[in-house]
Amino acid sequence: MSRRRAVLALLAVCVLGCLAENAQGQALHYERPVERAPQEKDIGGGYVTPKVQKPLPRRAWLEILDVALLAAAMGVSVWIVVKRRSRRWLVALTVASVGYFGFYREGCVCPIGSIQNVTVALTDPNYHIPMVVTATFFLPLLVAVFYGRAFCGGVCALGSIQELVLLKPVQVPRRLDQALGLLKYVYLAAAIWYAVLPAAQRDFVICRFDPFVSLFRRSGFAHMLALGAGFLVLGMFVGRPYCRYLCPYGGLLSWFSRLAARGVSITPNKELDCGLCAEACPYGAIEEMRAVRRKCLYCARCYAACPREGPLVKAFVPLGEVR
Amino acid sequence: MSGKVSRRQAMGRVARGAAVTGLGLSAGFLVHKAEGQVVWQIDASKCVNSRLGEVGVKVCDLCVKECVVTQSAVRAVNEYSKCGRCCVCPAYYSVKSAVGRDGLPSEKLCPRDAILRKPIGEADPNDPANNFYEYVIDEAKCDGCGKCVMACKEPAGLSSIILKVRHDLCVNCNNCAISTACPKDALNQWPALKAVLGESAPA
Repeated sequence: MSRRRAVLALLAVCVLGCLAENAQGQALHYERPVERAPQEKDIGGGYVTPKVQKPLPRRAWLEILDVALLAAAMGVSVWIVVKRRSRRWLVALTVASVGYFGFYREGCVCPIGSIQNVTVALTDPNYHIPMVVTATFFLPLLVAVFYGRAFCGGVCALGSIQELVLLKPVQVPRRLDQALGLLKYVYLAAAIWYAVLPAAQRDFVICRFDPFVSLFRRSGFAHMLALGAGFLVLGMFVGRPYCRYLCPYGGLLSWFSRLAARGVSITPNKELDCGLCAEACPYGAIEEMRAVRRKCLYCARCYAACPREGPLVKAFVPLGEVR
Repeated sequence: MSGKVSRRQAMGRVARGAAVTGLGLSAGFLVHKAEGQVVWQIDASKCVNSRLGEVGVKVCDLCVKECVVTQSAVRAVNEYSKCGRCCVCPAYYSVKSAVGRDGLPSEKLCPRDAILRKPIGEADPNDPANNFYEYVIDEAKCDGCGKCVMACKEPAGLSSIILKVRHDLCVNCNNCAISTACPKDALNQWPALKAVLGESAPA
């Protein structure tokens, strides 16, 4: 009878299994062997208790170096755009910023996220922010008061990475551009709202939904990495979607840059009204042949497109005619 | 600049001056109230894995799961001066595993094999229990899963192993993801000097 045989076989396996278990031995009856920790003199033999490692946070001078580099990069950005008028140099600065502020510093501290920290520190007496964060937040605004959005161009890591992927810019219809541009103020208001909530409900939404930080850290939630990749793919055609439509700090900068006296200028005194610069601007920042400070993102593409500016001039225009 | 300033230019200057003053004042206020760096740190008296009395509960591994850093910035740290240096360490060995030929449990507790065990001085192979052992945690391997912390807790051990945020690995998020998830509110921001050197309770 096959059924009886099967039952017998099963029993045999069980018995063997149990035997094997016993052969392997049982678990120890564990009791704590000591009541107090033996010290150096109990152990003897010249034993020295090892030091417990206490890794320090990033050194203060390195943090200050970050602020100095931020200031220097903005200075260079202003110099390139106002004096040098060169797209090529600006691309070099952009690459350097993505490397340092993006991949090396992993996108932190950045002025965009610090909006909320500054708001909390201004409203909550128990909340303090390090001076480095204060400086990071205020320096780009200060520069914007005089020179416009120099930070956005080749300094901001989030802006720079989008600047570099923009290969086939398409013009966004003006109406749509303006409507979408309002989103960043909504985001700014939401960020401030979440920051002024009591400590328990506070939410640092800007950092949490920073689309590129996971990319810079090369780790993070899959959905955030996907969002970052999505922005980069979209950013190949639509110029800097995050900066123009979502960045709350961009909103602040565009307010302050209204006051700026200097910045990108369309060939003073020698323009042709050809409109090539306006066509070249992926951000719709050239209106009626003039760069609009609050929209200009310091990319210097208009200079590269200008027949009276840069290498084209040197190649085709006889000496002395232009300069 | 021909000495004469147009009305528009003058207005611009006034506006810029006002903006700079405003920015300066708010920055000055923040600098005035700044209190140096703050860092995230775990309060061992709150953490489920190290809190006394929490015996027979599930080991909490949220520090591994929630941290945005790939291998988590939390590490198990052995406070050597509190360590019993036992032959059979409940945090090193899985004491429920079968005893092997050498009379010691056959399995290790750490899933990443991050704890190193070495005898202090000469060990008698015939009487291994009559010796002291040093347990060093390899921080490159540890990810702060908390298993050894729970096992080392009194009454089984002497609670010498606790979880700590490593400040060289921590990226100092505004809202530490672990702190948001921690059921015991054990992660808080401490002034850096206290957290690193003093290791006292958060201010």
